[in-house]
Amino acid sequence: MSTYIVNLVTVRLLIAALTLLIVSFAVFFATAMLPGDTATILLGQAATPEAVAGLRTAMHLDEPALVRFLHWLSGLLSGDLGTSYVNNVAVADLIGGRFVNTMRLAGITTLISVPLALTLGITAAMFQGSLYDRIVTIFTIGVISIPEFVVATSAVLVFSVYLKWLPALSIASDVTSIWQILKIYAMPVISLTFVVSAQMIRMTRAAVIDTINTPYVETALLKGASRPRMVLRHALPNAVGPIVNAVALSLSYLVGGVIIVETIFNYPGIAKLMVDGVSTRDLPLIQSCAMIFCFGYLTLITLADIVAILANPRLR
Amino acid sequence: MSDKITNWTASDDVMVENAIRRGATRRELLHMLLAGGVAMSAGGFLLGRASDAAAAAPKSGGHLKAAGWSSSTADTLDPAKASLSTDYVRCCALYNRLTFIDKSGLTKMELAESVESADAKVWTVKLRSGVTFHDGKTLSSNDVVYSLKRHLDPNVGSKVNSIAKQITDVKAVDPLTVAITLANPNADLPTILAMHHFMIVQDGTTDFSKGIGTGAFKLETFEPGVKSIAVKNPNYFKAQGAHLDSFEYFAISDDNARVNALLSGDIQLAASIKPRSMKLVESQPGFVLSQTTSGNYTNLNMRLDLEPGNKADFVAGMKYLINREQIRKSVMRGLAEVANDQPVSPASIYYNQELKPKAFDPEKAKFHFNKAGLVGQSIPIVASDAATASVDMATVLQQAGAEVGMKFDVQRVPSDGYWSNYWLKAPVHFGNINPRPTPDILFSLLYASDAPWNESQYKSAKFDKMLVEARGLLDEGKRKQIYGEMQIMIAEEAGTVIPVYLSNVDAISAKLKGLEASPLGGQMGYAFAEYVWLDA
Amino acid sequence: MTPSSTLSQKFGYSFNWIGMIGLSIILFWATIALIAPHIVPHPVGEIVDEDYFGPMSNELWLGSDYLGRDMLSRVLMGARYTVGISLAAVSIACFCGVVLGMTAAVVGGWFDTVLSRVLDAMNSIPSKLSGLVVVAAVGSSISVLVVTLAVIYTPGAYRFARALAVNINTMDFITVARTRGEGIFYMIGSEILPNIIGPILADLGIRFVFVVLLLSGLSFLGLGVQPPYADWGALVHENVGGLPFGAPAVIVPSLAIASLTISVNLLIDNLPKKIRDRSA
Repeated sequence: MSTYIVNLVTVRLLIAALTLLIVSFAVFFATAMLPGDTATILLGQAATPEAVAGLRTAMHLDEPALVRFLHWLSGLLSGDLGTSYVNNVAVADLIGGRFVNTMRLAGITTLISVPLALTLGITAAMFQGSLYDRIVTIFTIGVISIPEFVVATSAVLVFSVYLKWLPALSIASDVTSIWQILKIYAMPVISLTFVVSAQMIRMTRAAVIDTINTPYVETALLKGASRPRMVLRHALPNAVGPIVNAVALSLSYLVGGVIIVETIFNYPGIAKLMVDGVSTRDLPLIQSCAMIFCFGYLTLITLADIVAILANPRLR
Repeated sequence: MSDKITNWTASDDVMVENAIRRGATRRELLHMLLAGGVAMSAGGFLLGRASDAAAAAPKSGGHLKAAGWSSSTADTLDPAKASLSTDYVRCCALYNRLTFIDKSGLTKMELAESVESADAKVWTVKLRSGVTFHDGKTLSSNDVVYSLKRHLDPNVGSKVNSIAKQITDVKAVDPLTVAITLANPNADLPTILAMHHFMIVQDGTTDFSKGIGTGAFKLETFEPGVKSIAVKNPNYFKAQGAHLDSFEYFAISDDNARVNALLSGDIQLAASIKPRSMKLVESQPGFVLSQTTSGNYTNLNMRLDLEPGNKADFVAGMKYLINREQIRKSVMRGLAEVANDQPVSPASIYYNQELKPKAFDPEKAKFHFNKAGLVGQSIPIVASDAATASVDMATVLQQAGAEVGMKFDVQRVPSDGYWSNYWLKAPVHFGNINPRPTPDILFSLLYASDAPWNESQYKSAKFDKMLVEARGLLDEGKRKQIYGEMQIMIAEEAGTVIPVYLSNVDAISAKLKGLEASPLGGQMGYAFAEYVWLDA
Repeated sequence: MTPSSTLSQKFGYSFNWIGMIGLSIILFWATIALIAPHIVPHPVGEIVDEDYFGPMSNELWLGSDYLGRDMLSRVLMGARYTVGISLAAVSIACFCGVVLGMTAAVVGGWFDTVLSRVLDAMNSIPSKLSGLVVVAAVGSSISVLVVTLAVIYTPGAYRFARALAVNINTMDFITVARTRGEGIFYMIGSEILPNIIGPILADLGIRFVFVVLLLSGLSFLGLGVQPPYADWGALVHENVGGLPFGAPAVIVPSLAIASLTISVNLLIDNLPKKIRDRSA
């Protein structure tokens, strides 16, 4: 079994490298298609032809874009993420602290949302059709159908502006105690938990119910097993595949998709960095962020695939 | 503000402030207010408020947290490249200019002791002695020469390259004297030198991440796109240095989040809030709104060389169709002044008060559209969130058009790349112009035949001639007259509709004192850090 | 047995009832979407109120928005965009995703690997970037918007469908069908799909919610719905400043979105179940 997994991971790693390369090219062509370049955008209303030409030379943008991209790509192989066009700072330095922030927020949110979502999803399936099930459904859909920025802004209004319990901004640098960490992360984490839990809850519930309806689980039910017991012992193991995939898809959002939460709580993460990169056409920065998002996503889905295979012996 | 005046609106505030800037006497002011139906006590109150601010004694100390609205990895401490308001605020705290523009729009000396010329062509700048940079070096004429020459080098990417190009020579005469030679006479040089980009940096600087200047604050930390912290400079050359011990500046791009951070006490200043947030700030005790109208505007541009702008009647019709009052009231919630289709702000001493804005007149507009043969045709109007409030203005225009049988197809395009992709290019589109200190700069950049951003492709030999003539005049009265005529020409002939001048509103905690309006823009012309104090 | 048995009896009774409520709300909004242009009290772009974020009143039933426009008219017209575009986009995304997912699971091998990785790569490109590229490349129209939304949500639907289908694919009855020499379309249509339809529909329901919300995000990139019209998400976004005052301008479109998305999901949960193919 373990050799099978090792082989799988090796193959996946190779394919992941290839995927990263493809994504990198796709992002390059996408960026190249956008109107304007770093020089015209930085100069904005001051972009006279001479000024643009001068700045392009100064920023070494006069080489063809493809050459610059290949140059960046070869640098990447030696672990160099390149230098930002707009401010001449190493991209690794720009990303460094923010990456830690993003991972910290994603980590805390995962720790809270995954157990919560799985519990709600599984119990809703156990009591399918009950009042509890319906409340969970309505609440789940209701919560995600309210746009993220409304949830986050309302939370700030209530807890920061009116009650003054929590700070409106989550500035991660001045943290000295656990209590402060709780205060700073409370609102972003709750907002994100709302966003990512819904899909996990709904998919878990659906996958479990679906396995309940398969013949052998029905047999177990006829033999007199109680419904909750039957769900945990028989249905759940067979639903693991779809569930972990739903979890992976939801969590991948936490790596690059938290722009709204980063904006509203002024939390310095990499989603904002990517947006900055796109708006200034800062190719090394865009590429580096895209690689991080892609790598995060691939890691999550590969883990999901491995868990699914481990859970279903017949897949091997 | 304890006593509330019921019929006092934001525009009244602006009217009074502008009157004061134009040099109205107290008597004239009261007369104006009475004519406007405002109670006597209100006028007394407003004038009183101004003197209150002056009388209160500043307190030293404290840490100020303030937030602007835009910040990115492109944040820079290089004054030549400064482009976002966050850059201006930081540069104002760290560096100084040779001259600066005070709250009444007059040019005052800062690092210079005098800027003089006999013919407006060759200028002599005398520097103050004993000014030191944050690293201890003394300011000398070489620093000034270096700072000014940088703008001429295209590789620097200076934002004012096109303005600086008129400087043909800068040289150090002695350690405290600089001679500046211009290509053609320009009486505005002292005012031009007060622009934010012309801040004085140290000779030879290429790495600006340290922020070494002569300013009231020294840089402590600077993370582009995140935040900056600066501490008081104990060796500041002005007798009255900064009141604050330190100040932290960053940006919160979401308007509601910025206001909420202020209301929750996380920050003490939220710059440039949207008109629709005013209700919330006003409903909470302990906060004050500070308003400035500095000549920033969003305008509708019709290219005179393309369909449909090449039909003079289309342009004329649009000037009647735009409902300026509705834009002021509904789109800007009163935070604007109705404008008369020309770029010189009412706060400027050169503003032509005789030139009245065109009244909203759908019938006249319809007459012109009929004459142009455009009724019933679908005409695209490009708007974007990049040009403040342009999408809403376009909607107002679209609705007015529908009533006279015009079909305007509003195209909201992304902010991203708007300035390089749509602005100046689309046949009918919106632009947004930042305040510029002199009519000469505005006209040369936007309306001269060879102007780099001639938004409507307006070409007039007569206009070009008047521009050059006025530039070299040292006689203020004559200049004012020529600029007045040029404003009329723009309003009548160019393809630009300037419906309103936008006001900027900063929301601040009542504990923050000393913030005054400035003609250079919000946040005291971005220079507030040096002048404000925290009243604990 | 346990309380669940009584609950499932109740379930038999309430099932149609709840499903019916969901269905009627969807039909209600669909009707509104069709007849909106004929019933709006004011043109959507007209400023009818001097005040902004006005409260509900006799003249303006749902108050006014940030410009003083009639909220009732804007919500009614918004239904056209939110209901129409979202349903179209989510149907395309789920159809493509599910068909590809099942095919990949049944065919397996290199086909599966290549397709999976290509879609993974697609999913890794940030949607803001792709949105901007679409605007720059093909401009903006409602059909472009629908296709863009569908493309963005296809990889997710694919991955989930594939994960479900792979599990079913190992079952005995599939092996039997395979030995019978059944064609690929028979396999996915008659053997796999009936066994994964429950979770697939649940996935469609949740994806529908995401599409409704992303729609407004894309119109801010300049893609799709153009002023003076706005979809519900955009209505919430442009009026979010009214939140502190509890303005109907922000609450009503939020409720409209919630009512539609909850109804879609309740209907899916309570669809009458066919007797499934248990040929194994």
